[in-house]
Amino acid sequence: MTDPLPMEPLAKTSEPRAVSDPIELAVFKSRTHSIAEEMGAALRRTSFSPNIKERRDYSCAIFDEAGQVIAMGDHMPVHLGSMPMSVRAVIEALKLEPGDIAILNDPYAGGTHLPDITMVLGIFSDAEPDTPILYAAARAHHADVGGLYPGSMGLCREIYQEGLRIPPVLIVEAGTVNPSVLQIILHNVRTPEEREGDLLSQIGACRVGEHRLREMLERYGPKTLRRLSNDLMDYTERLMRARLGRVGNVCVEAEDFLDSDGFSEDPVRLRVAITFDGEESSVVIDFSGSSPQVASSINAVYAVTYSAVYYVMRCLLPEDAPATAGLMRPVAVKTERGSIVDAVLPAAVAGGNVETSQRIVDVLLRALAQVMPDRIPAASSGTMNNLTVGGGDQRNGRSYAYYETIAGGMGARPTADGVSGIHTHMTNSLNTPVEALEYAYPFRVRRYSYRNLSGGDGQYRGGDGIIREIEFLGPATVTLLADRRVFAPYGLAGGSPGAVGRSLLIAHGKETVLPGKCSIDVEAGSVVRIETPGGGGWGPRLERIGS
Amino acid sequence: MWGVVQPMRISIDSGGTFTDCIYLENGVLRVLKLFSTPQDPDKAVLDAILQVAGPDVLPDVRHGTTVGTNAMLERKGARVAFVTTSGFEDTIAIGRQARTSLYDWFRSPMPCIVAAKLRFGVDERTSSTGEILRSPDRESLAALALQISRSGAESIALSLLFSFANPQNELVVAAALRHLRLPISISHQILPEFREFERASTIVINAYLAPKVSTYLDRLEATLIDKSPMGAIHVMQSSGGIISAKLAVNEPVRTVLSGPAGGVIGAYKLAQIAGFDRIISFDMGGTSTDVSLMDAAEGGPQTTREAIVSEMPVSVPMLDIHTVGAGGGSLASFDGGGILRVGPESAGSSPGPICYGRGQQPTVTDANLLLGRLDPDLFLGGAVCLDHERTRALMNAAKGDLLTVEQFASGILLLAEAAMEKAVRVISIEKGYDPRDFTLLSFGGAGPLHACAMAKSLHIPRVLVPRMPGALSALGILMADTARDFSKTVMWRGSDQQKIRSGFAELEAFGSAALQDQGLGVQASRSADLRYTGQGYELNVPDGDHLVDEFHAMHRRRFGYSSPTHDVEIVTLRVRFVGLSPAVVLPVCEIVPGDGAGAILKRRPMYFSGAWQESAVYDRDRLHPGDTFAGPALVTEYSATTVLPPGCVAEVDAYGNLVIEVQAE
Repeated sequence: MTDPLPMEPLAKTSEPRAVSDPIELAVFKSRTHSIAEEMGAALRRTSFSPNIKERRDYSCAIFDEAGQVIAMGDHMPVHLGSMPMSVRAVIEALKLEPGDIAILNDPYAGGTHLPDITMVLGIFSDAEPDTPILYAAARAHHADVGGLYPGSMGLCREIYQEGLRIPPVLIVEAGTVNPSVLQIILHNVRTPEEREGDLLSQIGACRVGEHRLREMLERYGPKTLRRLSNDLMDYTERLMRARLGRVGNVCVEAEDFLDSDGFSEDPVRLRVAITFDGEESSVVIDFSGSSPQVASSINAVYAVTYSAVYYVMRCLLPEDAPATAGLMRPVAVKTERGSIVDAVLPAAVAGGNVETSQRIVDVLLRALAQVMPDRIPAASSGTMNNLTVGGGDQRNGRSYAYYETIAGGMGARPTADGVSGIHTHMTNSLNTPVEALEYAYPFRVRRYSYRNLSGGDGQYRGGDGIIREIEFLGPATVTLLADRRVFAPYGLAGGSPGAVGRSLLIAHGKETVLPGKCSIDVEAGSVVRIETPGGGGWGPRLERIGS
Repeated sequence: MWGVVQPMRISIDSGGTFTDCIYLENGVLRVLKLFSTPQDPDKAVLDAILQVAGPDVLPDVRHGTTVGTNAMLERKGARVAFVTTSGFEDTIAIGRQARTSLYDWFRSPMPCIVAAKLRFGVDERTSSTGEILRSPDRESLAALALQISRSGAESIALSLLFSFANPQNELVVAAALRHLRLPISISHQILPEFREFERASTIVINAYLAPKVSTYLDRLEATLIDKSPMGAIHVMQSSGGIISAKLAVNEPVRTVLSGPAGGVIGAYKLAQIAGFDRIISFDMGGTSTDVSLMDAAEGGPQTTREAIVSEMPVSVPMLDIHTVGAGGGSLASFDGGGILRVGPESAGSSPGPICYGRGQQPTVTDANLLLGRLDPDLFLGGAVCLDHERTRALMNAAKGDLLTVEQFASGILLLAEAAMEKAVRVISIEKGYDPRDFTLLSFGGAGPLHACAMAKSLHIPRVLVPRMPGALSALGILMADTARDFSKTVMWRGSDQQKIRSGFAELEAFGSAALQDQGLGVQASRSADLRYTGQGYELNVPDGDHLVDEFHAMHRRRFGYSSPTHDVEIVTLRVRFVGLSPAVVLPVCEIVPGDGAGAILKRRPMYFSGAWQESAVYDRDRLHPGDTFAGPALVTEYSATTVLPPGCVAEVDAYGNLVIEVQAE
């Protein structure tokens, strides 16, 4: 059953209007968004690791007193729905005082995976000094948080092997850094200097948010601020309901697979049933029937699954719709505890955030394509091709940990080819320039190019993936966490799937195909070549014009 | 005979509608305004020169050109062959792998300006330390030359990995391609700095613009020299410094934002003369607004090496100008959730705002008209009559559930101002500057309409509206110094003073040699980009006795902390040669205290904070230095209108500038 209703333009006259003054609300929306962006700018400019500055793997956001998100910078989509859970975890675990900053990364208490460290600061109103009236939070992906593998992204069987788990604790108390907490963290990571720099810059970003939010609080006062926050969330809710209401009463289902958990060969099933309720203008997204959690690192905690749903819902709205908590009010996300999309302790989760999150998007889009075929692109590469390398740098005697993600092909759209070599869906990090990489690490990049003809064929072609070849100038531990090596990115409306990805080790003149998920020790002179998947095609090839 | 004649300094700024010419005649500053000739851009420029310079005058012409800008924005440059290290041919297309719109599946980036079949690889490699790991061989170079000549390329961009660390391979490749007789842009000569995509993009843009800009400037110079053999043409660079036309022909990428740079320099110089050392320039036009921050204590206008033009990075120094899509033509509407939105879509010149007679959708200009901030009879000196009736009727129909059309119009202004306010925050607060320490210098057609309101909400205490706000860019070009930048990525750890000294000396010697035929190089200033090892972002530190100490201090000032024990990397050395231009003396009038009553044209109501208030309308041309008056008031002149809200007090200074003290909110 399909509902080919076009999404744009929204009928202006029939929509309910904002309760609060639409002008005041628009100004408030712009102000709060600009504060989140300002926090992000501060974080980017002062951070030490290329991972934050060059790759921009961070997010900043603002929350109301209940931890509901009011504004979020245009940062990492994978953090969308999970940031509020960090704030709520802090609210539950601690009583923040003015000048305090909480830190956490525990996926089982508000986090996503261990490398993502979040800091949360409360903003107090002089009139109501007991509990914060607003919160500012800054999250960054740290290049190493200890554990079995340099970069903390390798395959583990339990979370205890993945690195340091930080429950919500205070890293800053009344404006002063708590040295005990900082030292515990720095003693458990491979690159303490870099971590310290990045943590300090996260603290700085929170303070930028505090400064600006206090200004805003003075301008509005607590009462108006609450009203505007609520109205802004209501506004986004209306946008979302207007979108959902047009689908009618429909239920669609889809499934897709992760290649394997990396230890066994068994595919991991992702299943979703999406039920639209036309009267309520709401939707229930049910992942029942997905595989149970696995004994490896690709489990997603609920926060990650929620983020993926949030992202897809957000994409159904215009680009500048604010990412507030209201957007998800008409959306119920159901999961089975202990499943691949709602893992429980002690499941390892490093890859859930980066790999499983992408597959959750894929399965959601596959289902949605049945009700809004002209709005949904074919599957994109569906993996972030996470590469982590650690070792000793013989040039300076130091140890290093390097992390990068490699883009793939975008799925073809119902109106255009997919873009080649671009990050899609849950990530949007930048690459590290080859020349920056070779200065900083004992590597030599031998090739960085498009992977021609890897995009799926069709009326519109999927984008091509990328080929990246790195030679290691000294012994190193190379960890690969990638997917779509077995199950190709699907095409839609008769388009062909994109090519699956491939990884090779080239040593002593021999090429060995590597599994998608592995950790290997390589000798100096070895080369790892990664070919990322292409995007799926859209529509039958016969329809392609001029080819 | 020419030797005894003092050259006549002429500055010509080509804009979309007008070509502004400012020149010094016997020490007196004069202005000439002509219509631009976009089809044949040099025609208006030559016309201006001919009108201004008599037969016995030796013209020294400075030019702000849009030829490169337009070629980039319209993507109408040359067919470029991109040559790089084999295996990296797609670098120019892949970019940084990131997408511009996070949540829009349907957005596509603009196509790469080098098509796949015009990207060529050379089997060669240099290491990060400058070691040649592999040299290109003769046969493959011959084959490459043949391929390029068959590709129909009109220009070549050559950028090999790590060529800045050792240019040997790049020189060998360039030599092998020279016989093709195509313009060739070579990366280690134009931008010897690391980050391969940004460098390649800069070199490709240079190659893309080279044929067009050289044809244009060569023809302009030939025509001028034909008339006056010792005449010369100089061109404004995006960095705010002047270079010879010859250099601009070789490195046109340096002129991509030639015109806007003139405005920023004009704003800065004029403010300095008027006694203001820290300014934020605010140039609002029909579709967009440019803002820039300048602090005399930090050397005035700042340059960036992270500019993006037409979705491509340009890494040669450019004035740090931040642009947002909010202007007089920005469209207002309610979205599906009932929120009012203004821009970034614009009514442009067609259909234009409602009040011009054809537009159907409310714009910022319409809101200004409706609230009495534009006088329908005095717009562009009365040349255009604005349709007040039509505006009121259509805006009333579009106001949604708002009670009054005034409320709607006020909201439109508030939102447009919020967008522009955000832009000012990005360049000030986000970079550690406090707007309270600055003066807002407003120009462009629409800037002075909003300047006081913007200043108010940003806590900027003062607004300066220069005399002749329309010709500020041409004035800036006339006043700018000549400047040439040289740089080199070195990536040194530590602070070996001797190494740093000799590095600078080498770069300076290279620069001096390159500048010999430019009659320039009066002053060389050294600076370096430094960072903590591991950081991905560098700070530019002026060279002194203790470069590294100064870096720690600057890091603390900018970012709130420093790490003196952390290793420091000296990433790139920079030398800027500056030739000071003779000062331009602006005419000064005696200050006679007055109230400006003689300049009042009429009184009319203006709408401020919820009520109509009777306001005086002043004729800018009839105001005299020393006149002081308070808002609410309107000051009109040919190309701009200044709004003075209640509580603001304006004074005309000795140069004819309006200096407005703004009451904080």
